Amino acid sequence: MAILIDNNTKTIVQGITGANAALHTKLMLEYGTKIVGGVTPGKGGQRVEGVPVYDTVAQCLKEHPDATVSSIWVPARFAKEAILEAIDAGIKVVVVITERIPIHDMLYVREKAKEKGVTVIGGNTPGVISPGKCLVGMLPKIAFQPGRVGTVARSGAVTYYIANSLNLAGLGESTSVGLGGDPILGSNFEDILKLFEQDPETDAIVMAGEIGGVYEELAAPYIKQMKKPVIAYITGKSAPQGKRLGHAGAIIEGNMGTADSKIEALKNNGALIAETLSEIPVLVKKALRIG
Amino acid sequence: MRLYEFEGKMLFKRKKIPVPEGVVIDKDTISELDKVFYPVVIKAQVFAGGRGKAGIIQFAQNRLEAEKKIIELLGKKHGPFVIEKVLVERKLDIEQELYIAALIDRIAHKPLLMLCLQGGVDIEEIAKANPGAIRKYYFNAGEKLFEFQAKRIAGELGFSSDLFSGVANVIFNLYNLFIDYECKLAEINPLVITKDRKVFALDAKVDLDEDAMFRHPDLREMGIVARNEIGELTEREKIAKAAGIPYADVDPEGDIGVFPGGAGFGIAALDLITHYGGRPSNFMDSGGAPTQEKLKAMLGLLMDNPKVKVIFGARFGGISRCDDWAKAVVQYILENKPQKPMIMRMAGNMEEEGRKIFEEAKKEHPELFKNIKIYAYDTPIEEVIKEAIRVAKETT
Repeated sequence: MAILIDNNTKTIVQGITGANAALHTKLMLEYGTKIVGGVTPGKGGQRVEGVPVYDTVAQCLKEHPDATVSSIWVPARFAKEAILEAIDAGIKVVVVITERIPIHDMLYVREKAKEKGVTVIGGNTPGVISPGKCLVGMLPKIAFQPGRVGTVARSGAVTYYIANSLNLAGLGESTSVGLGGDPILGSNFEDILKLFEQDPETDAIVMAGEIGGVYEELAAPYIKQMKKPVIAYITGKSAPQGKRLGHAGAIIEGNMGTADSKIEALKNNGALIAETLSEIPVLVKKALRIG
Repeated sequence: MRLYEFEGKMLFKRKKIPVPEGVVIDKDTISELDKVFYPVVIKAQVFAGGRGKAGIIQFAQNRLEAEKKIIELLGKKHGPFVIEKVLVERKLDIEQELYIAALIDRIAHKPLLMLCLQGGVDIEEIAKANPGAIRKYYFNAGEKLFEFQAKRIAGELGFSSDLFSGVANVIFNLYNLFIDYECKLAEINPLVITKDRKVFALDAKVDLDEDAMFRHPDLREMGIVARNEIGELTEREKIAKAAGIPYADVDPEGDIGVFPGGAGFGIAALDLITHYGGRPSNFMDSGGAPTQEKLKAMLGLLMDNPKVKVIFGARFGGISRCDDWAKAVVQYILENKPQKPMIMRMAGNMEEEGRKIFEEAKKEHPELFKNIKIYAYDTPIEEVIKEAIRVAKETT
């Protein structure tokens, strides 16, 4: 079924009356995504691209109890409330497009999502796509085509270039997941790798990370346990050095966060390292003994 | 957003964490020296660490000596920073140095309180050599400490009764400051115990979450506003900053101007250009959904760089649409008639609309567009990068 979203997924859009959300609601519908409702407080009763708008997620789910996925497009200061509202109403997968959500808000949201067994993707994610089946977010459809490679990346455009690179080599994606660019994310590489490992429609996984943060290093030990091949693409070798977080950051995170530390951790645990975008499909084919 | 030590101490005072008496002095306020008790310590207010070893923390026995040393310090450079302010504090007689910090543990995804009975400059070495010396307490997100919790921790550290309340007070107030102001980090290193058995925060390292500042208007009232945390900027970086463009010069001899779309691919583009033997001039984030004016300013910044021979541009339209991008690029070309070649690729949302905009402009102004190439999604991005490198090498 791919991961997170498929043919049968019913989704809702929180913040649907905003300009960006309305545009991408149109694009998602054109792609075939089943959007059953939208939510904007105070705008209940309107329609956006034919989609009925409700004041609350609870009202929306009362009318459409089969909706399981929500995308969040509200301004950052309302994002915590919107995500908690979705979790409280029974949504199972929350895709947070909103960027620059306060860090302490995101920590709180993560705790509540974990308690309820809800998957949060993002913030600052371009979204999730299972090509040919369902698109939640703002990923450009032209970048993707159906196939058996799962992809997961921190950056939006890198997600598109990787899929583009796979497609030009005759491969396609089972699902592509944008983890998001915010410093604290709802899901990390390890969470998504676990889903791909269990997915019968995924044969290999491409993960793309970048300098900063610790999510790549944290995923490394899990990669060692995986049966499916993981191809890793890490960017930032040529980037100027960033800032350090006082002594406290160094005590907790040690030397994590550089391109070298990420590549070393991933390589030592069995991931195949791609130096360039065009090397990615080559390594995938090699790992799967295609061609 | 990192705070200067004196700003961190302003927050400490507000939250009843004791700090040494002191004044902040710049070149116009040296007369403030009349207000302090000698001997004093003079501390340069810069972000870079290692101030003691760099000699920009000084001591003075009297006003005359203090003034002389301050005048020497002001305007001096420390790493990429120029010293504009010093904090002058009464010198304390120190008996013991401790370490305490509240921070976000990005591995555990939890707020964390860390304490160590040995503080000071060697804290990272202590943590490495003897991890058990660092005590860690995790808490739930968004929850403040109760007083009893702070007391319990102070009790576990084994302080004698004359220090117990003072230490518990710092633990309680520092952690709650961290929660109240939504910090990434609130660190005191060292927290000192003086010979007369009092507790003071000798240093203050506070890092705020820029994205939460809208909830804390009192910071602005205290004069705590956005600052330059990187140190001295190049001329182009200053222009970019004034225009609100995330930009950094990467290679002063770089001849490929990079106009990449989002920051993530901006980083990847530097690696790819370097990998294929080119020299990128800059990092830039031209993603999100920048306005037409901003897009034009971005291009201008690269075109005006005399070292840049060719612009490599890419747009994979997600939230930022290809048609908006095409409009801005075309307008820039019509208005500025640039001579430098532009090698670009455009794919993604609203790609067809974007392509029409380029084609129409090219039909009307073929001369202006003769050095401008726009590839589509069927050309791999790396082929476009290789062509930009080739053009840069051919252009003299």
